[in-house]
Amino acid sequence: MIQLIKQTVFRKFKQIETEVHELNYLFWECTTRCNLNCLHCGSDCAKDSKFQDMPLADFLAALDTIESKPAHFTVVLTGGEPLLRKDIETCGREIRKRGMRWSMVSNGLLYDKEMHIKLLNAGMGALTFSLDGLQESHNWLRNNKNSFAKVDLAIDLAVCSPRLNFDVVTCVNKRNVTELPEIYKYLLNKGVKAWRLFTIVPIGRATENEDLFLTNQQFKETLDFIANMRKLNQLDIKFSCEGFVGKYESKVRDSGFFCRAGINIGSILIDGSISACPNIDRSFAQGNIYKDNFYQIWQTKFEAFRNREWTKTGECKNCSDYKDCQGNGMHFWHGNKENVLTCHNHKLKNAILG
Amino acid sequence: MTKNWKRNLIGGLSFTSMLFIFQACYGTPHDVGYDVLVEGIVKSKTTGQPIKGIKVAPYNDMQQVFTDENGNFSFYIFAENGIGLRFEDVDSTQNGGFATKDTILNTFTSQVFVNIDLDNK
Repeated sequence: MIQLIKQTVFRKFKQIETEVHELNYLFWECTTRCNLNCLHCGSDCAKDSKFQDMPLADFLAALDTIESKPAHFTVVLTGGEPLLRKDIETCGREIRKRGMRWSMVSNGLLYDKEMHIKLLNAGMGALTFSLDGLQESHNWLRNNKNSFAKVDLAIDLAVCSPRLNFDVVTCVNKRNVTELPEIYKYLLNKGVKAWRLFTIVPIGRATENEDLFLTNQQFKETLDFIANMRKLNQLDIKFSCEGFVGKYESKVRDSGFFCRAGINIGSILIDGSISACPNIDRSFAQGNIYKDNFYQIWQTKFEAFRNREWTKTGECKNCSDYKDCQGNGMHFWHGNKENVLTCHNHKLKNAILG
Repeated sequence: MTKNWKRNLIGGLSFTSMLFIFQACYGTPHDVGYDVLVEGIVKSKTTGQPIKGIKVAPYNDMQQVFTDENGNFSFYIFAENGIGLRFEDVDSTQNGGFATKDTILNTFTSQVFVNIDLDNK
Protein backbone atom coordinates (compact mmCIF):
# COMPACT_ATOMS: atom_id res chain seq x y z
CA MET A 1 0.00 0.00 0.00
CA ILE A 2 2.75 2.45 1.01
CA GLN A 3 4.67 1.49 -2.11
CA LEU A 4 1.61 2.24 -4.24
CA ILE A 5 1.17 5.68 -2.64
CA LYS A 6 4.87 6.44 -3.16
CA GLN A 7 4.63 5.36 -6.78
CA THR A 8 1.57 7.55 -7.39
CA VAL A 9 3.13 10.59 -5.74
CA PHE A 10 6.36 10.11 -7.66
CA ARG A 11 4.48 9.94 -10.95
CA LYS A 12 2.73 13.20 -10.02
CA PHE A 13 6.06 14.74 -9.07
CA LYS A 14 7.52 13.85 -12.47
CA GLN A 15 4.50 15.29 -14.21
CA ILE A 16 4.83 18.62 -12.37
CA GLU A 17 8.59 18.72 -12.93
CA THR A 18 7.93 18.25 -16.62
CA GLU A 19 5.34 21.03 -16.72
CA VAL A 20 7.59 23.46 -14.83
CA HIS A 21 10.73 22.30 -16.74
CA GLU A 22 13.12 24.39 -14.69
CA LEU A 23 16.54 24.44 -16.33
CA ASN A 24 19.11 23.85 -13.60
CA TYR A 25 21.72 21.60 -15.19
CA LEU A 26 23.43 22.58 -18.43
CA PHE A 27 26.01 20.56 -20.30
CA TRP A 28 28.51 22.48 -22.35
CA GLU A 29 30.30 20.33 -24.90
CA CYS A 30 33.19 22.75 -24.89
CA THR A 31 35.49 20.61 -27.04
CA THR A 32 35.34 17.35 -28.93
CA ARG A 33 39.09 16.98 -28.90
CA CYS A 34 40.22 14.11 -26.72
CA ASN A 35 43.54 12.76 -25.50
CA LEU A 36 42.18 9.21 -25.30
CA ASN A 37 40.61 6.88 -27.79
CA CYS A 38 38.29 4.85 -25.57
CA LEU A 39 36.76 1.68 -26.93
CA HIS A 40 33.29 2.61 -25.71
CA CYS A 41 33.16 6.27 -26.69
CA GLY A 42 29.64 7.26 -27.64
CA SER A 43 30.71 10.55 -29.13
CA ASP A 44 33.43 9.19 -31.37
CA CYS A 45 35.73 11.93 -30.10
CA ALA A 46 39.22 12.07 -31.52
CA LYS A 47 42.56 13.81 -31.10
CA ASP A 48 41.84 15.85 -34.19
CA SER A 49 38.21 16.76 -33.99
CA LYS A 50 36.51 18.12 -37.09
CA PHE A 51 35.10 20.84 -34.83
CA GLN A 52 36.97 23.79 -33.40
CA ASP A 53 36.47 24.30 -29.66
CA MET A 54 33.49 26.58 -29.12
CA PRO A 55 34.73 30.11 -28.32
CA LEU A 56 33.93 31.02 -24.72
CA ALA A 57 32.25 34.25 -25.81
CA ASP A 58 29.74 32.30 -27.92
CA PHE A 59 28.80 30.08 -25.01
CA LEU A 60 28.53 33.02 -22.61
CA ALA A 61 26.24 34.88 -25.01
CA ALA A 62 23.88 31.90 -24.89
CA LEU A 63 24.20 31.64 -21.12
CA ASP A 64 23.29 35.30 -20.77
CA THR A 65 19.89 34.66 -22.34
CA ILE A 66 18.82 32.62 -19.29
CA GLU A 67 16.34 34.73 -17.35
CA SER A 68 15.74 32.55 -14.32
CA LYS A 69 18.63 30.82 -12.54
CA PRO A 70 17.86 28.47 -9.65
CA ALA A 71 20.23 28.44 -6.67
CA HIS A 72 22.30 25.45 -7.71
CA PHE A 73 22.31 25.97 -11.44
CA THR A 74 25.30 23.95 -12.58
CA VAL A 75 27.13 24.18 -15.89
CA VAL A 76 28.84 20.87 -16.62
CA LEU A 77 31.91 21.13 -18.83
CA THR A 78 32.20 18.03 -20.93
CA GLY A 79 33.78 16.92 -24.16
CA GLY A 80 35.92 15.37 -25.50
CA GLU A 81 38.30 16.13 -22.69
CA PRO A 82 37.62 19.61 -21.25
CA LEU A 83 41.16 19.92 -19.87
CA LEU A 84 42.50 20.19 -23.40
CA ARG A 85 41.11 23.72 -23.47
CA LYS A 86 43.77 26.21 -22.47
CA ASP A 87 41.17 28.66 -21.21
CA ILE A 88 39.36 26.27 -18.88
CA GLU A 89 40.07 28.43 -15.82
CA THR A 90 38.71 31.53 -17.53
CA CYS A 91 35.64 29.56 -18.61
CA GLY A 92 34.98 28.62 -15.00
CA ARG A 93 35.46 32.12 -13.65
CA GLU A 94 33.15 33.63 -16.26
CA ILE A 95 30.43 31.12 -15.39
CA ARG A 96 30.77 31.95 -11.68
CA LYS A 97 30.60 35.68 -12.45
CA ARG A 98 27.11 35.00 -13.79
CA GLY A 99 25.96 33.50 -10.51
CA MET A 100 26.15 29.90 -11.70
CA ARG A 101 28.12 26.93 -10.47
CA TRP A 102 30.33 24.81 -12.68
CA SER A 103 31.69 21.31 -12.72
CA MET A 104 33.58 19.00 -15.04
CA VAL A 105 33.70 15.44 -16.32
CA SER A 106 37.26 14.35 -17.04
CA ASN A 107 39.32 11.27 -17.80
CA GLY A 108 41.93 12.60 -15.36
CA LEU A 109 44.87 12.25 -17.75
CA LEU A 110 45.87 15.94 -17.44
CA TYR A 111 44.69 16.41 -13.88
CA ASP A 112 47.72 17.16 -11.73
CA LYS A 113 48.20 19.25 -8.60
CA GLU A 114 48.71 22.48 -10.52
CA MET A 115 45.52 21.91 -12.51
CA HIS A 116 43.59 20.95 -9.38
CA ILE A 117 44.53 24.20 -7.66
CA LYS A 118 43.79 26.31 -10.73
CA LEU A 119 40.31 24.83 -11.13
CA LEU A 120 39.43 25.15 -7.45
CA ASN A 121 40.61 28.76 -7.54
CA ALA A 122 38.27 29.31 -10.48
CA GLY A 123 35.32 28.06 -8.45
CA MET A 124 34.87 24.48 -9.64
CA GLY A 125 32.42 22.82 -7.27
CA ALA A 126 31.86 19.31 -8.56
CA LEU A 127 33.96 16.82 -10.44
CA THR A 128 33.60 13.37 -11.93
CA PHE A 129 36.39 11.05 -13.00
CA SER A 130 35.90 7.92 -15.05
CA LEU A 131 37.44 4.79 -13.63
CA ASP A 132 36.56 1.70 -15.61
CA GLY A 133 38.21 -0.97 -13.58
CA LEU A 134 41.48 -1.84 -11.94
CA GLN A 135 44.67 -1.21 -13.87
CA GLU A 136 44.37 -3.79 -16.64
CA SER A 137 40.68 -3.44 -17.40
CA HIS A 138 40.70 0.35 -17.10
CA ASN A 139 43.66 0.71 -19.45
CA TRP A 140 42.04 -1.74 -21.88
CA LEU A 141 38.81 0.26 -22.12
CA ARG A 142 40.65 3.59 -22.13
CA ASN A 143 43.03 2.24 -24.74
CA ASN A 144 46.02 3.78 -22.97
CA LYS A 145 48.61 2.06 -20.77
CA ASN A 146 49.10 5.10 -18.52
CA SER A 147 45.48 5.94 -18.02
CA PHE A 148 44.96 4.12 -14.71
CA ALA A 149 48.09 5.57 -13.11
CA LYS A 150 46.98 9.08 -14.08
CA VAL A 151 43.42 8.79 -12.84
CA ASP A 152 44.67 7.16 -9.65
CA LEU A 153 46.66 10.32 -8.87
CA ALA A 154 43.78 12.55 -9.93
CA ILE A 155 41.43 10.77 -7.52
CA ASP A 156 43.91 11.37 -4.69
CA LEU A 157 43.78 15.10 -5.39
CA ALA A 158 40.01 15.26 -5.66
CA VAL A 159 39.26 13.39 -2.43
CA CYS A 160 41.35 15.73 -0.34
CA SER A 161 39.31 18.78 -1.30
CA PRO A 162 36.32 19.29 1.04
CA ARG A 163 34.93 21.85 -1.39
CA LEU A 164 34.36 19.39 -4.22
CA ASN A 165 31.25 17.30 -4.67
CA PHE A 166 33.24 14.52 -6.24
CA ASP A 167 32.33 11.10 -7.56
CA VAL A 168 33.74 8.30 -9.67
CA VAL A 169 31.84 6.67 -12.51
CA THR A 170 32.42 3.23 -13.94
CA CYS A 171 31.16 1.76 -17.18
CA VAL A 172 30.50 -1.85 -16.30
CA ASN A 173 31.39 -4.30 -19.04
CA LYS A 174 32.32 -7.96 -19.49
CA ARG A 175 35.94 -7.35 -18.51
CA ASN A 176 35.38 -5.48 -15.25
CA VAL A 177 32.10 -6.92 -13.98
CA THR A 178 33.84 -9.57 -11.92
CA GLU A 179 36.18 -7.09 -10.28
CA LEU A 180 33.48 -4.74 -8.93
CA PRO A 181 34.14 -5.86 -5.32
CA GLU A 182 37.84 -5.09 -5.79
CA ILE A 183 37.09 -1.67 -7.29
CA TYR A 184 34.80 -1.03 -4.34
CA LYS A 185 37.64 -1.76 -1.90
CA TYR A 186 40.05 0.33 -3.94
CA LEU A 187 37.70 3.34 -3.86
CA LEU A 188 37.06 2.94 -0.14
CA ASN A 189 40.80 2.89 0.50
CA LYS A 190 41.25 6.02 -1.57
CA GLY A 191 38.62 7.84 0.50
CA VAL A 192 36.14 8.22 -2.34
CA LYS A 193 32.63 8.89 -1.06
CA ALA A 194 30.44 8.38 -4.13
CA TRP A 195 30.48 5.84 -6.96
CA ARG A 196 28.08 5.62 -9.91
CA LEU A 197 27.87 2.62 -12.18
CA PHE A 198 26.72 2.61 -15.79
CA THR A 199 26.31 0.20 -18.58
CA ILE A 200 27.52 1.07 -22.05
CA VAL A 201 25.13 2.35 -24.69
CA PRO A 202 25.47 0.61 -28.06
CA ILE A 203 26.32 3.76 -30.01
CA GLY A 204 29.47 5.29 -31.49
CA ARG A 205 32.61 3.13 -31.36
CA ALA A 206 30.99 0.89 -28.75
CA THR A 207 28.89 -0.97 -31.31
CA GLU A 208 32.01 -2.69 -32.64
CA ASN A 209 32.92 -4.57 -29.49
CA GLU A 210 30.80 -7.33 -27.92
CA ASP A 211 33.01 -7.37 -24.79
CA LEU A 212 31.53 -4.04 -23.77
CA PHE A 213 28.01 -5.29 -23.20
CA LEU A 214 26.79 -7.22 -20.20
CA THR A 215 24.72 -10.35 -20.54
CA ASN A 216 21.33 -10.25 -18.84
CA GLN A 217 22.72 -12.30 -15.97
CA GLN A 218 25.76 -10.05 -15.57
CA PHE A 219 23.51 -7.01 -15.53
CA LYS A 220 21.39 -8.53 -12.77
CA GLU A 221 24.55 -9.42 -10.82
CA THR A 222 25.71 -5.80 -11.15
CA LEU A 223 22.46 -4.49 -9.68
CA ASP A 224 22.57 -7.13 -6.92
CA PHE A 225 26.07 -5.97 -6.13
CA ILE A 226 24.97 -2.32 -5.92
CA ALA A 227 21.95 -3.22 -3.78
CA ASN A 228 24.09 -5.23 -1.36
CA MET A 229 26.81 -2.61 -1.07
CA ARG A 230 24.26 0.14 -0.42
CA LYS A 231 23.19 -1.75 2.69
CA LEU A 232 26.71 -1.37 4.11
CA ASN A 233 26.50 2.45 4.04
CA GLN A 234 30.24 2.77 3.52
CA LEU A 235 30.08 4.40 0.13
CA ASP A 236 27.32 6.25 -1.73
CA ILE A 237 27.11 3.69 -4.49
CA LYS A 238 24.31 3.83 -7.02
CA PHE A 239 23.19 2.77 -10.47
CA SER A 240 23.16 5.75 -12.84
CA CYS A 241 19.93 7.36 -14.02
CA GLU A 242 20.33 5.70 -17.42
CA GLY A 243 17.29 3.44 -17.32
CA PHE A 244 14.31 1.98 -15.50
CA VAL A 245 15.15 -1.16 -13.55
CA GLY A 246 11.74 -2.35 -12.33
CA LYS A 247 11.83 -4.06 -8.94
CA TYR A 248 15.39 -2.85 -8.36
CA GLU A 249 14.42 0.85 -8.50
CA SER A 250 14.32 1.42 -4.74
CA LYS A 251 17.35 -0.80 -4.11
CA VAL A 252 19.96 0.78 -6.37
CA ARG A 253 19.22 4.52 -6.30
CA ASP A 254 18.14 7.25 -3.90
CA SER A 255 14.97 7.97 -5.86
CA GLY A 256 13.04 6.41 -8.72
CA PHE A 257 13.95 6.53 -12.39
CA PHE A 258 13.33 9.90 -13.98
CA CYS A 259 15.00 10.86 -17.24
CA ARG A 260 15.29 14.64 -16.82
CA ALA A 261 16.70 15.29 -20.29
CA GLY A 262 14.92 18.37 -21.65
CA ILE A 263 13.05 18.74 -18.35
CA ASN A 264 15.83 20.01 -16.09
CA ILE A 265 18.84 19.13 -18.23
CA GLY A 266 19.85 21.10 -21.30
CA SER A 267 22.99 21.28 -23.38
CA ILE A 268 24.91 23.42 -25.77
CA LEU A 269 26.79 21.13 -28.08
CA ILE A 270 30.02 21.71 -29.95
CA ASP A 271 28.34 23.03 -33.11
CA GLY A 272 25.98 25.27 -31.14
CA SER A 273 23.09 22.80 -31.19
CA ILE A 274 20.67 23.12 -28.29
CA SER A 275 19.69 19.79 -26.82
CA ALA A 276 19.82 17.83 -23.54
CA CYS A 277 22.39 15.20 -22.52
CA PRO A 278 25.22 15.06 -25.08
CA ASN A 279 24.80 11.31 -25.67
CA ILE A 280 21.27 11.80 -26.98
CA ASP A 281 20.84 11.39 -30.72
CA ARG A 282 21.79 14.67 -32.36
CA SER A 283 18.63 14.64 -34.45
CA PHE A 284 16.77 15.69 -31.27
CA ALA A 285 18.46 19.12 -31.34
CA GLN A 286 15.89 21.86 -30.77
CA GLY A 287 17.75 24.82 -32.17
CA ASN A 288 21.18 26.39 -32.42
CA ILE A 289 22.72 29.20 -30.40
CA TYR A 290 24.14 30.72 -33.57
CA LYS A 291 20.66 31.51 -34.86
CA ASP A 292 18.27 31.12 -31.92
CA ASN A 293 17.82 32.58 -28.46
CA PHE A 294 18.91 29.74 -26.20
CA TYR A 295 16.47 30.35 -23.34
CA GLN A 296 13.55 30.94 -25.66
CA ILE A 297 14.22 27.54 -27.21
CA TRP A 298 14.39 25.98 -23.75
CA GLN A 299 11.11 27.55 -22.74
CA THR A 300 9.11 26.91 -25.89
CA LYS A 301 10.50 23.81 -27.63
CA PHE A 302 11.64 20.41 -26.32
CA GLU A 303 8.26 18.83 -27.02
CA ALA A 304 9.80 15.40 -27.73
CA PHE A 305 11.51 15.49 -24.33
CA ARG A 306 8.51 16.67 -22.33
CA ASN A 307 5.92 14.46 -23.93
CA ARG A 308 7.37 10.98 -24.37
CA GLU A 309 4.23 9.41 -25.82
CA TRP A 310 6.11 8.93 -29.10
CA THR A 311 8.23 6.29 -27.36
CA LYS A 312 5.19 4.00 -27.10
CA THR A 313 6.46 1.97 -29.98
CA GLY A 314 8.41 -1.23 -30.50
CA GLU A 315 8.79 -3.17 -27.27
CA CYS A 316 7.56 -0.17 -25.24
CA LYS A 317 4.20 -0.17 -27.02
CA ASN A 318 2.39 -2.62 -24.78
CA CYS A 319 4.73 -2.61 -21.77
CA SER A 320 2.96 -2.77 -18.41
CA ASP A 321 5.69 -0.63 -16.78
CA TYR A 322 5.45 2.19 -19.31
CA LYS A 323 3.97 4.71 -16.81
CA ASP A 324 7.09 4.51 -14.67
CA CYS A 325 9.63 4.02 -17.43
CA GLN A 326 8.31 6.23 -20.26
CA GLY A 327 10.60 4.75 -22.85
CA ASN A 328 13.74 4.50 -20.71
CA GLY A 329 16.50 7.14 -21.01
CA MET A 330 16.24 9.44 -24.01
CA HIS A 331 19.75 8.42 -25.05
CA PHE A 332 18.46 4.95 -25.87
CA TRP A 333 16.54 6.30 -28.87
CA HIS A 334 18.77 6.56 -31.89
CA GLY A 335 18.49 6.18 -35.64
CA ASN A 336 14.94 5.57 -36.84
CA LYS A 337 13.66 5.59 -33.23
CA GLU A 338 11.34 2.69 -33.88
CA ASN A 339 12.52 0.81 -30.83
CA VAL A 340 14.44 1.47 -27.64
CA LEU A 341 18.11 0.40 -27.94
CA THR A 342 18.18 -1.24 -24.52
CA CYS A 343 15.43 -2.14 -22.08
CA HIS A 344 17.03 -2.67 -18.67
CA ASN A 345 13.77 -3.95 -17.26
CA HIS A 346 13.55 -6.69 -19.88
CA LYS A 347 17.16 -7.63 -19.31
CA LEU A 348 16.41 -8.14 -15.63
CA LYS A 349 13.21 -10.05 -16.26
CA ASN A 350 15.00 -12.29 -18.74
CA ALA A 351 17.83 -12.86 -16.28
CA ILE A 352 15.36 -13.92 -13.59
CA LEU A 353 13.60 -16.25 -16.01
CA GLY A 354 17.00 -17.71 -16.93
CA MET B 1 3.79 29.87 -9.46
CA THR B 2 1.08 27.36 -8.44
CA LYS B 3 3.00 24.59 -10.14
CA ASN B 4 6.19 25.57 -8.32
CA TRP B 5 4.32 25.46 -5.02
CA LYS B 6 2.94 22.00 -5.79
CA ARG B 7 6.36 20.90 -6.96
CA ASN B 8 8.03 21.86 -3.70
CA LEU B 9 5.25 20.37 -1.61
CA ILE B 10 5.22 17.00 -3.34
CA GLY B 11 8.98 16.81 -3.57
CA GLY B 12 9.40 17.79 0.05
CA LEU B 13 6.70 15.63 1.57
CA SER B 14 7.03 12.47 -0.45
CA PHE B 15 10.69 11.68 -0.31
CA THR B 16 13.60 13.99 0.31
CA SER B 17 14.99 17.21 -1.05
CA MET B 18 17.37 14.98 -3.00
CA LEU B 19 14.62 14.73 -5.59
CA PHE B 20 15.73 18.13 -6.82
CA ILE B 21 19.42 17.33 -6.61
CA PHE B 22 20.47 14.86 -9.24
CA GLN B 23 23.23 14.05 -11.65
CA ALA B 24 22.72 13.41 -15.32
CA CYS B 25 23.93 10.02 -16.54
CA TYR B 26 27.17 11.28 -17.98
CA GLY B 27 27.43 14.41 -15.90
CA THR B 28 28.75 15.32 -12.48
CA PRO B 29 26.89 15.64 -9.22
CA HIS B 30 25.19 18.99 -8.71
CA ASP B 31 27.38 21.52 -6.97
CA VAL B 32 25.60 22.13 -3.68
CA GLY B 33 28.68 23.08 -1.69
CA TYR B 34 29.61 26.40 -0.20
CA ASP B 35 32.51 28.60 -1.11
CA VAL B 36 33.60 32.19 -0.84
CA LEU B 37 35.12 34.38 -3.50
CA VAL B 38 38.06 36.04 -1.78
CA GLU B 39 39.56 38.98 -3.64
CA GLY B 40 42.02 41.54 -2.48
CA ILE B 41 45.07 43.66 -2.95
CA VAL B 42 48.45 43.38 -1.27
CA LYS B 43 50.59 46.49 -0.80
CA SER B 44 53.80 47.49 0.88
CA LYS B 45 53.14 49.15 4.24
CA THR B 46 56.20 51.35 3.72
CA THR B 47 55.64 52.60 0.18
CA GLY B 48 51.94 51.90 -0.40
CA GLN B 49 52.88 50.26 -3.68
CA PRO B 50 51.22 46.99 -4.78
CA ILE B 51 53.38 43.88 -4.47
CA LYS B 52 53.61 41.23 -7.14
CA GLY B 53 54.24 37.53 -6.47
CA ILE B 54 52.89 37.24 -2.93
CA LYS B 55 51.55 33.77 -2.23
CA VAL B 56 48.06 33.79 -0.71
CA ALA B 57 46.91 30.50 0.78
CA PRO B 58 44.23 29.25 3.18
CA TYR B 59 45.55 27.42 6.26
CA ASN B 60 45.90 23.66 5.94
CA ASP B 61 44.92 23.62 2.30
CA MET B 62 46.86 23.05 -0.92
CA GLN B 63 45.04 25.90 -2.65
CA GLN B 64 47.13 28.98 -3.33
CA VAL B 65 47.20 31.98 -5.60
CA PHE B 66 49.78 34.66 -6.36
CA THR B 67 49.28 38.41 -6.58
CA ASP B 68 49.63 39.94 -10.03
CA GLU B 69 51.64 43.02 -11.01
CA ASN B 70 48.94 45.25 -9.48
CA GLY B 71 48.99 43.32 -6.20
CA ASN B 72 45.58 41.79 -6.90
CA PHE B 73 44.49 38.25 -6.23
CA SER B 74 41.21 36.40 -6.51
CA PHE B 75 40.14 32.84 -5.75
CA TYR B 76 37.24 30.75 -4.51
CA ILE B 77 37.86 28.83 -1.32
CA PHE B 78 35.89 26.44 0.83
CA ALA B 79 33.50 28.33 3.11
CA GLU B 80 34.01 27.62 6.78
CA ASN B 81 33.70 29.77 9.83
CA GLY B 82 36.89 31.71 10.29
CA ILE B 83 38.94 31.35 7.14
CA GLY B 84 42.63 31.65 7.88
CA LEU B 85 44.73 33.19 5.11
CA ARG B 86 48.50 33.47 4.96
CA PHE B 87 50.27 36.09 2.82
CA GLU B 88 53.82 35.04 2.14
CA ASP B 89 56.70 36.45 0.13
CA VAL B 90 58.16 33.39 -1.55
CA ASP B 91 60.20 34.92 -4.37
CA SER B 92 63.05 36.05 -2.16
CA THR B 93 63.98 39.65 -2.97
CA GLN B 94 62.75 39.61 -6.55
CA ASN B 95 59.85 41.98 -5.73
CA GLY B 96 61.28 43.28 -2.46
CA GLY B 97 61.45 41.39 0.82
CA PHE B 98 58.32 41.29 2.98
CA ALA B 99 57.33 39.65 6.25
CA THR B 100 54.66 36.96 6.29
CA LYS B 101 51.23 38.02 7.52
CA ASP B 102 48.23 35.95 8.67
CA THR B 103 44.64 37.05 8.82
CA ILE B 104 41.32 35.47 9.76
CA LEU B 105 38.19 36.23 7.74
CA ASN B 106 34.91 35.92 9.58
CA THR B 107 32.44 36.15 6.78
CA PHE B 108 29.04 34.74 6.02
CA THR B 109 28.79 36.35 2.61
CA SER B 110 29.66 34.72 -0.68
CA GLN B 111 32.22 37.36 -1.57
CA VAL B 112 34.80 39.27 0.45
CA PHE B 113 37.48 41.84 -0.38
CA VAL B 114 40.61 42.24 1.73
CA ASN B 115 43.29 44.93 1.81
CA ILE B 116 46.62 43.69 3.13
CA ASP B 117 49.70 45.74 3.96
CA LEU B 118 52.95 43.87 4.40
CA ASP B 119 55.90 45.07 6.48
CA ASN B 120 59.37 45.04 5.05
CA LYS B 121 61.58 42.26 6.34
